[in-house]
Amino acid sequence: MKILAVTACPTGIAHTYMAAEALEAAAKKKGYEIKVETRGSVGVENELSDKDIKEADAIILACDTAVPMERFYGKKLVNVSVSEALKGSDQLIEKALKASVFTKSNLVDDVSDLKEQRSSGRKGFYKHLMNGVSFMIPFVVAGGIAIALSFLIGGYNGFEVEGSIAAFLMGIGGGGGAFGLMVPILAGYIAYSIADRPGLAPGMIGGAVAMQLNSGFLGGLVAGFLAGYVVVLIKKYIKLPKSLQGIMPVLVIPVLGSLIVGLLFFYIIGTPVGAINTAMNNYLTTMSGSNAIVLGLVLGLMMAADMGGPINKAAYAFATGTLVVGSGTMVMAAVMAAGMVPPLGLALATVLFKNKFDLYEREAGKAAWVLGASFITEGAIPFAAADPIRVIPSIMVGSAITGALSMAFKATLAVPHGGLFVFFAIENLVGYIIAILAGTVVSAVMLGFLKKKVEA
Amino acid sequence: MIINEKLINLQVNDRTKEAIIQELAKMACEEGRIGDVDAYVKAVLKREDEYSTAVGFGVAIPHGKTNAVKEPFLVFAKVQSVEWNALDGEPVDLVFMIGVPEESAGSLHLKILASISRKLMKEEFREGLRQSKTPEEIMKLLKSSDLGI
Repeated sequence: MKILAVTACPTGIAHTYMAAEALEAAAKKKGYEIKVETRGSVGVENELSDKDIKEADAIILACDTAVPMERFYGKKLVNVSVSEALKGSDQLIEKALKASVFTKSNLVDDVSDLKEQRSSGRKGFYKHLMNGVSFMIPFVVAGGIAIALSFLIGGYNGFEVEGSIAAFLMGIGGGGGAFGLMVPILAGYIAYSIADRPGLAPGMIGGAVAMQLNSGFLGGLVAGFLAGYVVVLIKKYIKLPKSLQGIMPVLVIPVLGSLIVGLLFFYIIGTPVGAINTAMNNYLTTMSGSNAIVLGLVLGLMMAADMGGPINKAAYAFATGTLVVGSGTMVMAAVMAAGMVPPLGLALATVLFKNKFDLYEREAGKAAWVLGASFITEGAIPFAAADPIRVIPSIMVGSAITGALSMAFKATLAVPHGGLFVFFAIENLVGYIIAILAGTVVSAVMLGFLKKKVEA
Repeated sequence: MIINEKLINLQVNDRTKEAIIQELAKMACEEGRIGDVDAYVKAVLKREDEYSTAVGFGVAIPHGKTNAVKEPFLVFAKVQSVEWNALDGEPVDLVFMIGVPEESAGSLHLKILASISRKLMKEEFREGLRQSKTPEEIMKLLKSSDLGI
């Protein structure tokens, strides 16, 4: 065992050295090798060399002042005050050997912070849309997987056999279950985002009406926004005497809001929106050849362009919308594949071209495999933030290739999220995997060519 | 010399750390090491507030780095089991008080203080200090301990 320590205290006269002595004595007793760098008023003594750090099993920082930390990336490290080392140097050594590895910060945490920041920074139209989409996604995931399982167990007609497990699964996931709720939930939570709680009922009911008129995802969007703003107007212009205000949220708003939205849909909006929606779905399902490939290419570029930002989410929301028809779509498959590629490409690049990434990035690369496999495109952001001009084009090209290939192979997917974990729900899995691998490799190679060597 | 017989007091009767620090600072002042006793004591107590300098094993090392100090010094005192908020909760009976000017020229005395600090972590050294009966014996022990004194 080799332990390294750094001790430092504000005055740098006594504690620095006493802590060093205590740690040395404790390590000697355990039979461990130890070297302690002291940063006192005399200056830095017994400085740790790169070789020391390379050989060390664990690092102890017993410091009450700031000391250089970058040199310890990738090492097990505990960071305590100098008095801890005086109090219990024995336990401190044991703690260090069990400590977690020190990195600049953790990629997975970084990414979730980033996602939070982004969602709190959303505004206006986009914020309302994403609120609806994020509430809808769990329904689509549950429904999509139930439907996929039904097909897996009973084949494509299995659910028609009454009383079979395939039929039950379809009942849970299909139009009578989860998929039937998709559009109402989308519309309801768009309206909720605009008008708060009173918006929910008119929004969901509007969404249900949109479903009856076959206007699908597009109809849900329109219903949600319509309901939201209708409720805002009702709240603004209908003033009841104080004694009757209690009936606003339970009677006036839900009834009036739902009637206005519903009737507008039946008489005016429903037909054109339904027609557009049907045309779009027909186009998407019959699309093939070069059109499909171009669409996949564009969607791929969009997925990688801002890694989870508005452009990515626009492509993603569009893909989720295609699922409303109730079966897997090529667009959904292409979008998920393209969204997985950026973190995967970077992860591969950190393995193939070690000298182009600093230690933190190489550590982060390991986490990027997992984020990519889980379809969390945001996993690429820390890399892109550090070197946008080289990273973003590389991942855009890789994702575009993957999107186009996925379309070319006619892979389809009925679930809007889950990455590797929903691969069982993919049609033409072999082609799909080839598409993802191709994009990952292209991204990684491009990164290798474009990125500059990092000073060691 | 960072320490001499006149900077050693083997019988301090004060029972609080504030009084002890004040008393030892006066000794250093009489030896011409401190210009402004109040300013030095203030600096030492401020340091004590950050966290106690009683590092355990009955040892405390109050110290101040301030321009109230004219020449670096070390005062050694034996006290009667004083409560000092020690890291190990035990009362203190050995006190090394240190004074260093803000901009200290040369680092020899700092090295001596560093090696005394290290030495204090050793059981034999502390026992030796406790056994010593006179300032002369203490000086002899310090000189023979390879501290550069």
